[in-house]
Amino acid sequence: MDAMTPLSRLLGRLRAATGGVAGLCATVGTLDVAILPEVGGDLVEAFTEALRSAGGEAFVTGVHQEEVLVALAERLRAVGATGLFIAEDDVAAREFAMALVPFGPFVVFSEADLRALPPPCSAGFQTVDAAVAESGAVVQSTRGGRSLLPGILPDVHVALVPGGSLVPRMEDVLARFSADMPRAVSFVTGPSRTADIEQTIVVGAHGPKSVIAVVTP
Amino acid sequence: MIPTPHLFSRRAAKALANSRLQATFARTTGKFLGARNAAFAELPDGEALRDRVAAVRDEALLALDVHLARFVVEAEKAGAVVHVADDAAMARAIAARIAKDEGVSLAVKSKSMVTEEVALNDGLASGGVVVIESDLGEYIVQLAEEPPSHLVAPAVHKTKEEVAELFASKLGEKSTGEIPELVGIARRKLREIFLSAGMGISGANFLVAETGTVVLATNEGNGRMTTTLPRVHLVVAGIEKVVPRMEDVPLLLRALTRSATGQKSTTYFSFLTGPKRAGDPQGPEKMHIILVDNGRSAILAGKYRAILRCLRCGACLNACPVYQSVGGHAYGWVYPGPMGSVLTPLLTGLYGSTRLPDASTLCGACAEVCPAKIPLPDLLLELRFDARMMGLKRPEEILAAKALALATRRAGLLEAIQRVAGLLAEIFVKDRKVSWMPGRLGAWTAKRDLPAPAPVPFRKLWRKARGIGPWTR
Repeated sequence: MDAMTPLSRLLGRLRAATGGVAGLCATVGTLDVAILPEVGGDLVEAFTEALRSAGGEAFVTGVHQEEVLVALAERLRAVGATGLFIAEDDVAAREFAMALVPFGPFVVFSEADLRALPPPCSAGFQTVDAAVAESGAVVQSTRGGRSLLPGILPDVHVALVPGGSLVPRMEDVLARFSADMPRAVSFVTGPSRTADIEQTIVVGAHGPKSVIAVVTP
Repeated sequence: MIPTPHLFSRRAAKALANSRLQATFARTTGKFLGARNAAFAELPDGEALRDRVAAVRDEALLALDVHLARFVVEAEKAGAVVHVADDAAMARAIAARIAKDEGVSLAVKSKSMVTEEVALNDGLASGGVVVIESDLGEYIVQLAEEPPSHLVAPAVHKTKEEVAELFASKLGEKSTGEIPELVGIARRKLREIFLSAGMGISGANFLVAETGTVVLATNEGNGRMTTTLPRVHLVVAGIEKVVPRMEDVPLLLRALTRSATGQKSTTYFSFLTGPKRAGDPQGPEKMHIILVDNGRSAILAGKYRAILRCLRCGACLNACPVYQSVGGHAYGWVYPGPMGSVLTPLLTGLYGSTRLPDASTLCGACAEVCPAKIPLPDLLLELRFDARMMGLKRPEEILAAKALALATRRAGLLEAIQRVAGLLAEIFVKDRKVSWMPGRLGAWTAKRDLPAPAPVPFRKLWRKARGIGPWTR
């Protein structure tokens, strides 16, 4: 290795600064989980409560998916969302979006259409990789070539959460990914927000203005 | 940003005379601090959390060379290009070269203090690259051509009327001046930029050595757009941001968000590892990471190492009575408040910035809220000591300190002085309040009264009440 690269010079400075070997012996030991916020036993309940207090909404579908479809359709119509945006390869999202269409007027479209037309007020549908009960976060990743756009560009983000993908804490999600990190793993907790003007919270900054999680069994 | 901490006194006086600014800072810092305290009270053991944060940060710093080397290896394995900038000039040069090589003319930026520190925007501008800030507060101060006044809330000093006026004059966007409408204007304007910029620039809240991952915590969504839509992603980060393992990160994020704004989490936590992979439908084609030293390795070597634990949460600002009164601009550089009063002298030289560690009562409010348990008052005191050793203290300060040390070391001398002072006070001072003092001392009495020394010191009253004679020990 060339000893004169900026990196090797930097590492040399750092090594000299800390005395080198001593640092290798310092470890913090395992984390005492008792210092972390408690997560209730019923993960679905903990998740929906956490998401709601972060300004998001949550529907839980049980046997009667129709009730959720009606309620969700009403929510979307109320904010004026007519476009239902999905990623090409998200089969479950497409099915769900198509199931909503009768409660419309809704139009299902995908990425190819998005960049060409100025988007009408739209809702992005996406099956998430995981969800976190502690914080109410839904997790999107690019693993398997998945798109992040449904959760970034539209005004509404509808996250489809398969019940089995719900875990207690963020650590649990990262443990699944860290052996082979995809380009992006995003934890999304509720809608985008800013308080940069007069410290007044405005929901809906650059990202989606509302986040709706639909927890399926 | 060119450091001007030597102007602290003048700017502080100006801020103190501005009652609207006073009210704004008091309200804002009060809100943040209250939220922080509420969030920590909800934790099962906030103290233990802070202890752990300090331990994790110290572990990383103690072997920073090892962890940084690992980060570089892993990041490059994931396809990122890693650069090292010894100082601000080098950082600017590297960024300008990257922009040129990648053919970038428009860049969009999400919030990053280190890019302000190295004046990255200037470096890119001189290469003909237009850089637009996308964090709403930064966007506002950029339009206003002012520096940010708070770590977490850069435009806290602006009213909504001022913002509306700014949008009207600089963007041609008229509005009713209501806040949601203003946010909507920014959303629309910036979305065009996100979709057309060739490069997205971000900082990093943490750099994970184990996987070569860049971690970003944001609320607005601009961080996600900046790091997903443009074809080049440039990350600029201080070397002290490295943490050894992925499993450490959630704990640090929990502490960071609660300490900054009282939130349990920010809306978005993004874990970014390398550029787009084959098969990804979108994402940056290139990822460049500039690791910035700019004085940090020197701090690591010395007695101020603890300041490198700093998570940039801003809690110390919100707790500090001095910051609450004078706001961010008075500190004259990128980092204000207690952490700025330590970092600015260390990074820009104590010679021009001695006023900063002086502007503290050492009340310790900052140390009580710091999630990484940085002993800020100790570091400030140490800087004052260094200033003395460097010959930066004025003769009258040195004399006063020597006199105080002499008097307090000798009980008899102190008592004699107090007796005389008490007698003089009885004769010359009304109502036990000194409201005028001559010469330089008048700087104190111009703004507040000084309690006059008592005719009989408390010690004597106590002994008398207890029936203890004057010669009894």
